[in-house]
Amino acid sequence: MHIQESMSMYEKLNILTDAAKYDVACTSSGTSRKGDGTGMGTCEQSGICHSFSADGRCISLLKILFTNECIYDCRYCVNRRSNDIIRTSFTPDEVCTLTMEFYRRNYIEGLFLSSGILRSPDYTMELIYAALYKLRRECNFQGYIHVKAIPGANTELIQRVGFLADRMSVNLELPTAESLRLLAPHKSRRNILTPMRLVQNRMEENKQELALYRNAPRFVPAGQSTQMIIGATPETDYQIIQVAESLYQKFELKRVFYSAFVHVNEDKALPKRTDEGPPLLREHRLYQADWLLRYYHFQASELLSEENPNFNVMLDPKCNWALKHLEQFPVEINRADYKMLLRVPGLGYKSAVRIVKARRLGVLGFTDLKKMGVVLKRAMYFITCSGRMMYPTKLEEDYITRNLLNVGERLPEEVRNMGYRQLSLFDDVRFGSGFYEKAGGTI
Amino acid sequence: MKTVYICNDTITGIFSAVYDAWRDRQREETCKIAFKNTLEQELFCEYRQVEETEHKAQAVENLIKKHLGRRAYWDLYHAVLSQDEEKGDAVLGTMLAAREIPDSTKIMEHLSHPKVAMAFRLGRNVEGEAHSYKGFLRFRELASGVLYSEITPKNQVLTCLAPHFADRLPLENWMIYDKTHQMFVVHEKAKKWVLVWNEDIDLSAASRVSDKEMEYARLWKSFVRTIAIESRTNPKCQLNHLPLHFRGDMLEMG
Repeated sequence: MHIQESMSMYEKLNILTDAAKYDVACTSSGTSRKGDGTGMGTCEQSGICHSFSADGRCISLLKILFTNECIYDCRYCVNRRSNDIIRTSFTPDEVCTLTMEFYRRNYIEGLFLSSGILRSPDYTMELIYAALYKLRRECNFQGYIHVKAIPGANTELIQRVGFLADRMSVNLELPTAESLRLLAPHKSRRNILTPMRLVQNRMEENKQELALYRNAPRFVPAGQSTQMIIGATPETDYQIIQVAESLYQKFELKRVFYSAFVHVNEDKALPKRTDEGPPLLREHRLYQADWLLRYYHFQASELLSEENPNFNVMLDPKCNWALKHLEQFPVEINRADYKMLLRVPGLGYKSAVRIVKARRLGVLGFTDLKKMGVVLKRAMYFITCSGRMMYPTKLEEDYITRNLLNVGERLPEEVRNMGYRQLSLFDDVRFGSGFYEKAGGTI
Repeated sequence: MKTVYICNDTITGIFSAVYDAWRDRQREETCKIAFKNTLEQELFCEYRQVEETEHKAQAVENLIKKHLGRRAYWDLYHAVLSQDEEKGDAVLGTMLAAREIPDSTKIMEHLSHPKVAMAFRLGRNVEGEAHSYKGFLRFRELASGVLYSEITPKNQVLTCLAPHFADRLPLENWMIYDKTHQMFVVHEKAKKWVLVWNEDIDLSAASRVSDKEMEYARLWKSFVRTIAIESRTNPKCQLNHLPLHFRGDMLEMG
C-alpha cells in the first residue's frame, strides 16, 4: 500500500467530498433551535438551502466522509475495498475547523458526516463521536448535524452520538433483504434495522424525559431518515413504496430518500451499463409518491397494486390516481372536505389549507384559487366553483389525459416521443425474470 | 375626488400615511398612498404631504397588533418592505377590510378580498426573498476580522436578515450591505444590530480580505464543484432553484 504522508486539506476535501456525493440527503430541516449567545449557530425548522450544485441538488450541509477507507465490499459503492482509489481520512480537528470556518462565512447550514468503515464499526463510530464531541462541546457549535449510525457499532456509542446530532440515518441501501445479500454481501438487513429500532426507541424515551425535564438533553431532535438505491435491483415501484410506507409506520422515520442508481463500478451482479444514465424520472415519481404518503393521506395500496406495480412515467402519481377514480370528481371547492381537496391534482396541502380558511369568509372563484397558488391548468378538470367548471370539459379519462399531457411537466425527449397510447403501462425496470439466478451464480 | 397621501418609502413613512388616511376616515376607493420619488401626477386628485413621525408609526403598529393580531402584523410588515408601488394601498385596504368581517384576527385568511390577497402575496414574496438570502448570502473575512457581505435584493430584506444572523453569529463582528437600497446592517460582537442608511461609509476596506480568506474560498469553490454528480447534470433544475440574479453576489458562482 502506498501511504502519502502529507496530503493537503484541499486534496483531502476533494477526495472525501467526491466519495460522499452519492449520499442523497442534504436537508437541514426538522428542528428549530435558537443560539444561546455563547457560540455559533442556530437551526431553522424549514431548513435552509445555501447553494445548488450543477446537478440541481441543494447544498445545505458540508457533506463529507470521515474516511473513504472501508473494510466492506459493496458492489455498487465507489469506496468498496476492492477498488483501487486514493484513500484518506480526516482528523476530528480538521472536520471541526472546516465546519466552523465554512459556517461563519454562511456557506453551509451544518455538517453531514458519513464514513466508510475503518477497521471496525466501533472504531469508526468512535472517531465520528470524537469529531462531533469536539464540535459541539469545545467549539460550541449549535448548527445542524446529520450523522450516519454505523450498523454493527456498539449501542452505547450510537446513543452517545445521538445526543450530539440533530438527525441520524442508517442506510437501508437496497429495498429488499435479498438484494442486499446479493450486492452488499457484508451487510445484513437485520444489522441495518437494529440501530434504526434503537434510535426510534431512544427517541421515544427522550420524549418522556423532555416532558419531565424541559432542559433534558435532546436525542436526535430532527428524527431519523434512511435511503435506498433505486434501479440496481429488480424491485417494482410497488415493492419500494410498500417498504417506504412500513418504514414510516413501524420505524417512525422522518424521511425515506431514493437514489437513482449511478454506475460507478463494473460488476457482474449489477445491471448492464446503458446510455440512458440513472433512472431519474423513476426516482422523481417515487419522491412524488412519497409526498402523497406523508402529506396527502394516501396509502401505497391506493397508488399501485400487484397487477399494476409501476408508476406511469407520463403522469404524476396523483393525476394517475385521479384519472382512475373519476367517479369521485368533480369536487366542489366551496364545500368539499379537506381530505378530498388534498386528492385533487394541482392542489397542494398549503393551498388546501388556505381554501378551507378563506371559504369561511367568502365564496371562492377560479381567480381567487389562482392567487392562492392552485395550479389551475391541472386542477380545472377536477373541480367546480359554486357548481360551475372553469371551462366546459368532459369528465373522461382519455380526454383529460390528453389535455394534461399537453400542459404537463417537461418530460425527457425519449418519453415525450413515445406517445401515451402505446404506453399506458410503462416500466422503467430493465431486467429479465432470471435476474437473481444469473447474478447469484457469480458469488 | 381621491386623496393621495405622499410619503417616503420606509416603514415609518407608510405607517404615517396609513395613520393620516385612517384619521381622515377614508375608504378604500377614496384614497391612495404614493411615494415621493416615484410619484406620477393624476387628474382629479388632492395631494397631501404626510408628516412622518415615529409616534404615528408606533400607533399604527399597535393598532394592527391589537386588532388583527401579531401574525397579521408580521404579514403586513413584510408587505411594507416589498418593491411593489401599491403596497401602501394593500396594507390600508387590508386594515379597512378587517373591520367588515366578524373576527378581524382572521383577516389574512380572507383571500377572496383583492387587497388582502395582494398584501398576502407581497408579504409572502418578501419572506421568500429573505429566506433565500439566509442561505445564498456569503460573508468574506476582511483583514480586520470583520465578516462582510454584499447583496442585491429586490425588496428591503435587511431587517428580516439581521435578527437571523445576530442570533446565529453572536460573537462575530459582521456587516451586510444592501446595494439596491444602499443600506447597511452592522453587528458588533455581543451587541445589538443596527440599521444604517443615508450615510457615507468608506467601502475601500471591504476589498482587503484576510490571509486565510483566499484559502477557504478556494476550498468552498472546489467543494461545490465536486459535490455534483456528473451523470445527473441538470442546469435547468439548478436555474429554477438558484435564479441568476442571486449569483452575482455568490462566491462559488463567480
